[in-house]
Amino acid sequence: MGKRITVPFGSQHVALPEPVRFVFQTENEKIVDVEVDVGYVHRGIEKACATKFKYMQVGYVVARVCGLCSISHTLGYVTAVERLMGVEVPKRALYLRLLVSELDRIHSHLLAMGHTAEVAGYENLFMQTFRHRELVMEMLELLTGNRVQFDYACIGGVNRDLTSDVEKVLRGKLKVLEEKAQWLKDVYENDFSLNLRWKGIGAVTEEMAKEMNVVGPPARAVGLKTDVRAEFDYLPFKEVGYRMVVLKGGSIYERNLVRALEILNSIEMCWNILDGLPEGDIKVPVKGLPEGEMFVRIEAPRGELFYYIRGSKKLILDRVRIRVPTFANIPVMKELFIGMDYADVPATVISFDPCLSCTAR
Amino acid sequence: MVVEEIRVPLRDVRRAIKEFYNPSEWHFITVNGVDLGGKVELKWFFTKYGEKEHFKVVTTEASYDDEIPTITYLIPSAWISEWELADLFGLNVEGAKKGLFLDPESPQAPLRRG
Repeated sequence: MGKRITVPFGSQHVALPEPVRFVFQTENEKIVDVEVDVGYVHRGIEKACATKFKYMQVGYVVARVCGLCSISHTLGYVTAVERLMGVEVPKRALYLRLLVSELDRIHSHLLAMGHTAEVAGYENLFMQTFRHRELVMEMLELLTGNRVQFDYACIGGVNRDLTSDVEKVLRGKLKVLEEKAQWLKDVYENDFSLNLRWKGIGAVTEEMAKEMNVVGPPARAVGLKTDVRAEFDYLPFKEVGYRMVVLKGGSIYERNLVRALEILNSIEMCWNILDGLPEGDIKVPVKGLPEGEMFVRIEAPRGELFYYIRGSKKLILDRVRIRVPTFANIPVMKELFIGMDYADVPATVISFDPCLSCTAR
Repeated sequence: MVVEEIRVPLRDVRRAIKEFYNPSEWHFITVNGVDLGGKVELKWFFTKYGEKEHFKVVTTEASYDDEIPTITYLIPSAWISEWELADLFGLNVEGAKKGLFLDPESPQAPLRRG
């Protein structure tokens, strides 16, 4: 047995886009124990939503939980309120929500893939991935008016319609993106160095995924057929060609490949939305106050996002609960590290695409 | 949406979950607390793999001083939800450490009302 050494990873680390702290106990570079601290960016958002903001404002507050998946947060919240209050959202609004939701998934997945390339020392691929991600950022800005905090969905529909001028530009950009995404998928799938570096590294088994309740691309990369888009009717995914991507293997390589394949499916869905966008209103007026409780699940880019709300016919809700995908995946990450080489930690962490801003809220 | 709610006293929570929980069949989502003033309503949420909008919710109530039983014997990943309860509601959850989400200097049990 070698000498036991304590190695801290984070809260600030070159491989980490956000603060999380793992403290590893290692013996001969093998990890034998780990502690985790995720609370560096706790902002009391749930508390604020149930004390300071009226229920119609909360959608804009929860959009600030996360810069990357703010669309999913707003969508989760407004869907919960609409179900609680029996609001019938116009079909056009549902299609527009689906469009931004899938664009959001594409840019989030590209970010995760890019970061994984970076920690593998493949800076050129990181830059190429982020370069093509910029196309999606431009599309989201055209659609929503913002590059980051989108505030697109609202209770009863969406805040902006899609004009024919914007649609024309979107189609042009989507065509370029489709070509680039296919190229990226081929690189992430077939590159010799990436295969050597990632295949079999940080692998979750199917049994472990079930026991640890893993969500999102890490679950589907191990063969677990779970995707909220197929399990909860919050948007008309089936009408626009959604397909669940499931692979076997569960390592960093498969997690990235699931993301690459989901990007291609999301682009296909975007084409189908633009081709079949229904005419009509984008919003309905909402009257009354929320009473009772409701919970919903949304497939955010990183996995299952859960919203619980409770109201008692007041302007301010009694409770807003947000359970984000990274929160659900932290336990399996902790489990996975035991027995792993310390050198594989950065790539493994990043391949789970952790969002600590979401986790701590 | 199909929601099967199981209401049990606090001491029976673990038994109620053990009776139906099978990791190949049920996905544990989270445990949620709602402060009711002097006590907290707790709900453990589960959804069934491969089925649309099918949930099982185990509900109980606990006073601020009660010891909340851990379910990590059954569901190892539940520790993070339990530690969150301990931090944000100031509850005494079996085996949970405080400080995962809150700094020692920050206001304690922020999700308690009043």
